[in-house]
Amino acid sequence: MKRLLGAVLSTALIGTPGAFAAEKTLTIGYSDALTGGGAVYGVPQKKAIDLAIEEINGAGGIKVGADNYKIKTIEYDDKADSTEATNVARKLIDRDDVKFILGYCCSASGGAMASFIGREDVIVLVGTAGARSITSLGNKNVFRTRPPGDYTGAAAGKFIAQQGVKTLGILAVRDVALFTQYRDSLVKAFEEAGGKVVAIETFGGQDRDMTAQLTKLRGLNPDALFVSGYVEQVAFSHRQASELGIKTQRYGFSGGSAEQFTKVATAEQMNGAWDLLAIEFNADVLGPKAVAFVDRYKKKYNENPTPNTAYAYDQVYVLRDALQAAQTTTDMKKIQETIRALPIPKEALLKYLPVNGRMFDDKGQAYIANGAFQWKNGNWAFVKELPSDAAAYSNFLKTIKD
Amino acid sequence: MWTRFAIVAVIAAAIVFPLFVTVNYFIHLAILAMIFMIVAQGANVIQGYTGYVSIAQGAFMGIGAYASALLSMRAGFPVWLSMLAAPIFTAVAAAIAGYPALRIKGHYFAIMTLAMNMVVFTVLVNWVSLTQGEPGLPSIPSPEAINLGFTEIAFEKRRAYYYLALAALVLVMWIVAAVVRSRVGRVLLAIRQNEPFAEAAGIACWKYKLFAFIFSASLAGFGGAIYAHYMGFINPTPFSADASLNAILAVILGGSGTLTGPLVGGALTVILPEALRVAEIYRLIAYGLLLILVVIFLPRGLVPAVVDGVRSISRRRKTP
Amino acid sequence: MLIDFIQQIFNGLVVGSIYTLIALGLTTIFGIFGIAHFAHGSVAMFGGYLTYFLISALGIGLLPSFILAMAAGALLGIVLERVAYYPVRNAPPINSFIIALGLTLIIEKLNLLAFGVDQVIIPTPLVNVINVGGVTMPELRIYVLAIAAILVIGMTLLIQRTWIGMAVRAVAQNRAAAVLMGINVNSVSMFVFALSSALGVAAGVLVGALFAVAPGVSSGLVIKGFAVLILGGLGSIPGAIVGGMLLGVSEAFAAAFVSSAYKDVISFLLMILVLLVRPEGLMRRSSR
Repeated sequence: MKRLLGAVLSTALIGTPGAFAAEKTLTIGYSDALTGGGAVYGVPQKKAIDLAIEEINGAGGIKVGADNYKIKTIEYDDKADSTEATNVARKLIDRDDVKFILGYCCSASGGAMASFIGREDVIVLVGTAGARSITSLGNKNVFRTRPPGDYTGAAAGKFIAQQGVKTLGILAVRDVALFTQYRDSLVKAFEEAGGKVVAIETFGGQDRDMTAQLTKLRGLNPDALFVSGYVEQVAFSHRQASELGIKTQRYGFSGGSAEQFTKVATAEQMNGAWDLLAIEFNADVLGPKAVAFVDRYKKKYNENPTPNTAYAYDQVYVLRDALQAAQTTTDMKKIQETIRALPIPKEALLKYLPVNGRMFDDKGQAYIANGAFQWKNGNWAFVKELPSDAAAYSNFLKTIKD
Repeated sequence: MWTRFAIVAVIAAAIVFPLFVTVNYFIHLAILAMIFMIVAQGANVIQGYTGYVSIAQGAFMGIGAYASALLSMRAGFPVWLSMLAAPIFTAVAAAIAGYPALRIKGHYFAIMTLAMNMVVFTVLVNWVSLTQGEPGLPSIPSPEAINLGFTEIAFEKRRAYYYLALAALVLVMWIVAAVVRSRVGRVLLAIRQNEPFAEAAGIACWKYKLFAFIFSASLAGFGGAIYAHYMGFINPTPFSADASLNAILAVILGGSGTLTGPLVGGALTVILPEALRVAEIYRLIAYGLLLILVVIFLPRGLVPAVVDGVRSISRRRKTP
Repeated sequence: MLIDFIQQIFNGLVVGSIYTLIALGLTTIFGIFGIAHFAHGSVAMFGGYLTYFLISALGIGLLPSFILAMAAGALLGIVLERVAYYPVRNAPPINSFIIALGLTLIIEKLNLLAFGVDQVIIPTPLVNVINVGGVTMPELRIYVLAIAAILVIGMTLLIQRTWIGMAVRAVAQNRAAAVLMGINVNSVSMFVFALSSALGVAAGVLVGALFAVAPGVSSGLVIKGFAVLILGGLGSIPGAIVGGMLLGVSEAFAAAFVSSAYKDVISFLLMILVLLVRPEGLMRRSSR
């Protein structure tokens, strides 16, 4: 009411509607791993969000009705831990009274949030967290740009079978949801395509000696090897596989940069290895918009953006577009519906595969293209897109309840 | 007399606390603190009263949490029943683990329990068909609403859950107080002070130690169950050895071998991180320093130190 | 099959030799003080980070850096003993245990503060792989085995053949009698912490060269170290050697022939089994 009155007054005084907009602040919450193991993902993600906010504020903010909102954030460290993430969400909602939350790099924090957030009157825009339950639980107020691990895993399984691989040995991390869900759907897709998995060996999040598992896989002599986990461990797996004289094709999923790999393994040891993953931020594949982003990011932070930065960056623009389209910052229901029907924001960096012409499907999940990268001459080179099927996965996701 | 008065006063204060708190976040912290007090009280039974450090409270909390969550979600138990069954489940697990572990003493036992924590953690991560592994169990139900005729208490609401946690804590305190004051409690203290002597006096120490271990574990399991149905989501992360170390810390900080020590220590381990909102890393360094300083300068913990301080002041007043 | 079997033994021995180095320090400290020195893994990581820093930031060679880091580790050990453990030497054992936990937190986080969260790999020029009839042995792993062996033999000689070693053994066997014989228990304490920490640092450097120095590695190392102690017997030097090798090889076998997912569980079960059958460990305690 007051706001309306103010708007009427200002219009009456100046006489030209819209020319004099009220300057307001929209406070949004931010929950992410800023310290601890998840910080590798959380900190760059926060930097990308801050950059997007700076850009939006610099361009005049978010225009809702006669008001002009500048974005401000309140940020907390959730350490990628479920209890901490719950604490942070409680604090943001109960104490700081925010209506929008961004962030979430990791499965544990995102999964914990998703399990209760449906009861709250807020909207959460998740970035990098990969656990399927974040969207599969079906909360109406959760949206995520990163596709779940099993969406990419299915495409990867099909791809490996298409490469003529008949028998596959698997070495994978056991305690990270993103990787385990990816692995399970890879196995399913690969076996549906007629392949046979000879063994699934695992390692823990701090292991760096995989020689015992690799020696066993060497003895089973499969056509190809598949290795997944964080880059630290996948790099050691490639090195030790090569040291053990394993010469078969090596596929993998880790998303590490060439620099991260060559710290551990020599370029020769990496030669010919594949990385099969969602095409996250990658300036070589995504075109001029992405190159410009690299420049801005580098200018602000004096470092290169990591592959996961774009997920959260795009979400800030989703929020802007949604608020401007819905013309409200308080009617959460309307904003939710607007996001659900939203086309892809023009500033978005990633290559989204729309489902029914919309960025997010009914469960609030967005999909991006998956790609096959191969190690050639000391670096990852993009080879081709994987046979991804966003619509099919979206239908599958509808049937999942947890 | 005075003790009884103090107990009533504290419980009364705890009952009216939510009425004065406008920010729900503090209710949330209070619930977590009470859950952690229950776990710490369990650690106190084995560590403070019996003199055996167990680094497995986190694992037992996890067993209780998963048992209660899975019983209510998969076996169709009512949540209330699951929460009561959780400590029994945990007790069985502790009996199986404790029987061999308690044949050994001192550091062997501590290391053994640490290994047990890691075994449980690994199983929680790997037994995906049961626990869903690292992605965790979402959508754990809240306890069924209680219909009082004129009103219905729904436990999705934080304030209602606050009273549930408070009732659980009071119940635990009452049971622990009864146990430590019984003959069993005196035997445990005797074991802590001089086990060979107690053995020589004809006491079958291993029975009492096993009891203390099972009892302490089942309290952790109970705390875990309350945690699971409050959070609505669990994964293995909060049940690692770190949680066990936190419980030990709570007992040491508050005062081991006292009934109130774990309450103070448990509250501190939840509230201190909130109060010291400096970067996590400095906080943990401060934590470590605090731990060392307390052990060197206040080896019996905060509560006994404060009690001694108050006593010496009042004594000075009485004898001018 | 036979080749894989031998390969697994080789894999296990390399890792086992690192476990042994960690366990030697732990077991000596335990033998003398009855302290479960949990911070030992963090001390090892500190040494690994320091070596990396000396090489990459100051341009010092690998071997001199290694030796400097061991010296720094020895110094750190003395500081820990004086500042943290000495004040509680007469208190119940649970106090030193808590001190150890506190120290672990502090050193671990100081490492993080000083050296960051990224994993660090100590660069070595050793990339060749020797192949003997299908059993592949990377040069680096052979060096790790050799260095560990040299250190273990050196330490054993030091304890068995020198005057200070005799004093250490005397204190371990009977502290009161050692004091009566005029042995300065204070300097023995400092010596033991210095020696143990230097060995821990050596283990950290080997881990850093073969695998990586990173947050979270230290707790795994120290727990494996204690598992070795339990296998071999608390306070026993031969026990640490045999136990370390046994743990390394049994882990490799567990991963290869039972289940890699439950590899650590299997090694802990082995430990529990040994405790039940031989509560004093596989080797009789030689010191204490």
